[in-house]
Order: sequence, then C-alpha cells, then structure tokens
Amino acid sequence: MSAILELSGVSKEFAANGRRTLAVDNVSFSVEKGECLAIVGESGSGKSTIANMILGIYGASAGAIAFAGEPLPERREKRHRRAIQLVQQNPLSSLNPRRTVGASLRLALDVHDIGPKAERAERIGALLQEVGLEPDYARRSPAALSGGQRQRVAIARALACESELVVLDEPTSALDVLVQARVLRLLAELKAKRGLTYVFITHDLSVVRNIADRVAVFERGRLIEIGTTEAVFSSPTHDYTRRLISAVPVVSDAEAEMRQNIMEMTHD
Amino acid sequence: MTAPTLKIENLKLGFKLWSGMIEVLHGISLHIGKGERVALVGESGSGKSVTARIVLGMLQEMSSARISGGLTFEGIDLDKLKPRDRHHLRGTRMSMIFQDPTSSLNPVYPIFTQFREVLARANPAISDAEARMKAITALADVSINEPERVLDSYAFQLSGGMNQRVMIAMALANNPSLLLADEPGTALDVTVQAQTLKLMSDLVEQHGTSVLFISHNLGVVREFADRVYVIYKGRIVEQGLTKQLFSNPQHPYTRALLAAVPRITGGGIPDIAEDTAGFHDPLIAHPGASEKELLS
Ligand SMILES: Nc1ncnc2c1ncn2[C@@H]1O[C@H](COP(=O)(O)OP(=O)(O)O)[C@@H](O)[C@H]1O
Ligand SMILES: Nc1ncnc2c1ncn2[C@@H]1O[C@H](COP(=O)(O)OP(=O)(O)O)[C@@H](O)[C@H]1O
Ligand SMILES: [Mg+2]
Ligand SMILES: [Mg+2]
Repeated sequence: MSAILELSGVSKEFAANGRRTLAVDNVSFSVEKGECLAIVGESGSGKSTIANMILGIYGASAGAIAFAGEPLPERREKRHRRAIQLVQQNPLSSLNPRRTVGASLRLALDVHDIGPKAERAERIGALLQEVGLEPDYARRSPAALSGGQRQRVAIARALACESELVVLDEPTSALDVLVQARVLRLLAELKAKRGLTYVFITHDLSVVRNIADRVAVFERGRLIEIGTTEAVFSSPTHDYTRRLISAVPVVSDAEAEMRQNIMEMTHD
Repeated sequence: MTAPTLKIENLKLGFKLWSGMIEVLHGISLHIGKGERVALVGESGSGKSVTARIVLGMLQEMSSARISGGLTFEGIDLDKLKPRDRHHLRGTRMSMIFQDPTSSLNPVYPIFTQFREVLARANPAISDAEARMKAITALADVSINEPERVLDSYAFQLSGGMNQRVMIAMALANNPSLLLADEPGTALDVTVQAQTLKLMSDLVEQHGTSVLFISHNLGVVREFADRVYVIYKGRIVEQGLTKQLFSNPQHPYTRALLAAVPRITGGGIPDIAEDTAGFHDPLIAHPGASEKELLS
C-alpha cells in the first residue's frame, strides 16, 4: 500500500467580521491508494474545509499536502486538477445549468485533452452508461434531471477526467433513501472496477459503516480518532465518537442494541 | 369512544397549472387518536407537507389548489366552519413545526415579539408581562437555560438546535390538541436531532398532545411514532403499529424503503432493484390497524 494523499500538520484559519475561526487545527492523516476514507463529524467540524484544501480551492494556513509523493503547490497545475475531482452534495451548483449534460462532459474531456477528439462523443455515451444513464441523457439540461441523476452526471464527470482521487462531500445527503442506495452502490462498484480512491465526507454514520475502509472523526477542526471502520464502530475510543454513533436513528432491533452497547461505554 | 383528534377521509388534491391538472393526493385516509403520535412517512414529493397544509387550512387559500374529501377535527367538520373560526384554530388548537427552524422564525424581530404574537392568538388581551412570564416557562420546558437572553435574541444569533427548541416551545405554548411536525430536526446534527426529538416526545406525552409526525427518515419514525402510515406518490400504501410495520413490512414499497436504509451494524450497501411495479399495489393494513377497525 502507498499513500496517494498525505496531509501533514494542516491548519486553516478564517478571519471574517473581525473574528478568527480555526476551522482545521493541525491535522495529519494519509489516504492509501484504492481505499475509501470517510471523514465524519458534526456540522462545522471542518470537513468541507479539508475538502476545499485538498482540491486547492484555497490553501492551508499551515502544513503541507502531498499527492502521489509530491508536495501539492498552492496554485495547482492542470494535471492536479485532473487527478483530484470533487463531487458535491448539490451537483446543481457545480454543473453549469446552461450546458447540456453532454456539453459538460465534453468540456471535461477537452480541457484535459483526454482520448482522441474523434472518439469523444462516443466516450460521453460510454461514461453515461457507466453511471447507469442512457446515452441520450447527453442532450438534457441539468434542470431536467432528478437529484439522483444529477449526482450520476457529477460522478461521470469525475470519471471523464480519469481522476485518481475523488473527494465526495455529502454526495448522497440530499437524496431519498432508495436513490441513495443506488448511488452508493454505483460508487462502490466504480471504486472496485477503476481502482479509485475516495475521501468520503458525510455526517451519516450508517452510510460510513457500509462504504468506508477507514474512518477519520473530526471535532471542531481536530482529528480525534482514525482507524478501520470495523475498529471505530466496535470500540470507539472517544466519547464524542460514541455519542455520534449512539445518536444515529436506526430501523432494527439489532442496531438499537448495538447503539445501546456503545452508549453504555460513554463516560458521562 | 371519544372522537379522534384528526380524521382525514378520502382526501384528494390537485393543482391546476397552465399546463393542465396535476394530481398530488389520490384519496388518502388517516386519523390520529387522542394523545397518539402518528407518522406519515415517504420520499420527497410524496405528498406529506401538502397534507399538513390542508389540515391547517393553508392550501385552501391557494387558487390553483383543488381539494376534496373530509376533514374532521375533534369531531367537528372543518369544512363547515366559518373561515374566521377555521383560521383561529391555527396556532391555538392546532400548530405546526417546520423543518428549518432558523428560516421559519422571522429574522427582523426578536424571539419575544414572535412569542408574544403566538400567545396573543389565544389571548388577544395578554399583557407584555404575562406574555413574558409564559414565554419564559415555555422555554424552560424545552430545557433552555437562559430564557431571558433567548427572548431578547434574534433567530440568527442562536444555533439551529436552539431555534428548533424555540419553535417547539412556541408550537406548544397555547397547549394545542394537535401538533403537526413536518420533518422536525432534519436540518440539525443527529446528536441535536436526537435530543430535540426526546424533548418533544416528553412534552407531548405530558400534555397529551396528538401529533402528526411527518418524516422521510424511517429511523426517526421508528423512534418517535406509535403508529405509521407509509405514503407513496399520493397514496397510503401501508399502515400499522410502529412495531408491526418495522418488524414485518408487507407492501413492496415499504420493503424496498426499509431494505435501502444502510445499517449501523454493517452488511454492505443494499442492492435495490430498479423494478417499482409492486409499489403501486393497493393499501395493506396490519391486523387491527385499518381505518375501519381503529375507528369502529
Ligand atoms: N469561507 C469561510 N469563512 C469563514 N469561516 C468559514 C469559512 N468556511 C468555513 N468556515 C468556518 O469553518 C468551520 C468549519 O466549516 P466547514 O468546514 O464548512 O464544516 P463542515 O463541513 O464540517 O460542516 C465553521 O466554523 C465555519 O463557520
Ligand atoms: N403549490 C404547488 N403547485 C404545484 N405543485 C405543488 C405545489 N405544492 C406542492 N406541489 C407538488 O405536490 C407534490 C407533493 O409535495 P409535498 O407535499 O411538498 O411533498 P413532501 O412529501 O416532500 O412533503 C410534489 O410533487 C410537489 O411538487
Ligand atoms: Mg460541509
Ligand atoms: Mg415536505
């Protein structure tokens, strides 16, 4: 195993209205190639800030981020922008509403000059099929798609770039549960098939339990616990983690029992 | 037997749009017994919020809405009430909690002004001092430690969890017999959501309030409700006691919905068939839990 992404002592401070917020506080962790690392924590714990720093949307206030063994410059090169892709909670904010689905995918292929020009139209159809959409969805506008379909298009765009690392920021939080299950399954299949690496940000621990290889738990900008999914869920070491797990609404008696056991491990 | 707090019979709703009629509710029937907590659960767009807005009499004010069916509140036919009397029920005998507490509170007035308005609906002659005293008690009931400070704050100065508590306190301030809770706490962190629901649960139990609990989240429903109606595209497809429904779901739609929820105990991402044919199967009521059996 080798680390594809490594954060060392990364901090991010925001100054707004004369107030300083340390959104991310001296965080170090690495992501192995081909794994799904989940980042969990309550709202405001710094999850999206970490995503934005990995994407290079803004730089860190301190610390360093390395990708495939090389330090990432604050101004990202094109190859970095291709290799690291973002899928957001609301894909409408990242898909240009005036462009058809096909045009958005075409742009990604053109910008990064992926595959022979003559084959790009065909490639768009294949990408759509890979995410479970008919090729003729290329002609639609994002507004004419359901939430789940838009999310599939956002995933197809990440695939179009042949990215190695996909940062998913609450990718299924706005979806109905049936649609969520289908999108999660698609993500799991694509990861296995293409050897993708995911940084999967979510507040939903039931999702994490079923998709992540490892889990990093954040509390107010600090990384307080990181481990395999199995270990974090069976024997969480922090009360904060235990509280997060025991607050999850569950649908079966077996889950309620597990939650109860975790709750009994908390110290307050 | 005393009349149920709310009875909805064969409720239909359509909207007349420039492009034609769209049918949203296809004849739903449900009821809430006194002190009962009843959930209406289904995916987004299935018709949950419109149902609550019809009960409150809000949708009736929309010219494009076409509504038919029976609505009975504590034995009174709501459609026979004068508009003025019907309007008066809102915020007094029945009240509503919305999903997003911060945006449903008015940003330009302090909490107290809004609280006072709520109390004045039941008692127009209420004095400032009395309103303040009542508001403080109501906020203390939802475990707000510094009610004085909260009353003088604006919604944007409070956390989402705090605003949700304020909303609950306001909704229960006039001791309504029916509370309509539309996705309460959905916008909050799960830890805060769990605390909020516990609090709401304790309060409605103390007051004997009947609740229509609207949610898309099966886990939250299982924790809060005594009885459940599952709604799919404007039709009730399954109804039963919470225990019955979760331990033995019958309708293909309910089964798919439950199977799709990732489990905190693991087991992987469920494989959900694309086939939705059975989702349109007729209503299935669990033994002893049909409208007929419960209302006879
Ligand atoms: N652009 C910004 N300017 C000022 N503060 C910010 C900005 N972005 C995030 N923050 C603050 O940083 C903290 C972490 O935010 P965020 O990373 O969005 O959390 P999460 O995604 O875990 O909900 C919060 O306190 C938030 O208010
Ligand atoms: N004012 C309106 N005009 C037209 N359609 C509406 C209106 N309000 C709601 N609808 C439609 O009615 C259906 C049910 O909506 P709603 O009750 O809000 O769903 P939910 O179950 O998510 O609460 C949706 O398809 C929605 O688009
Ligand atoms: Mg975020
Ligand atoms: Mg709704």
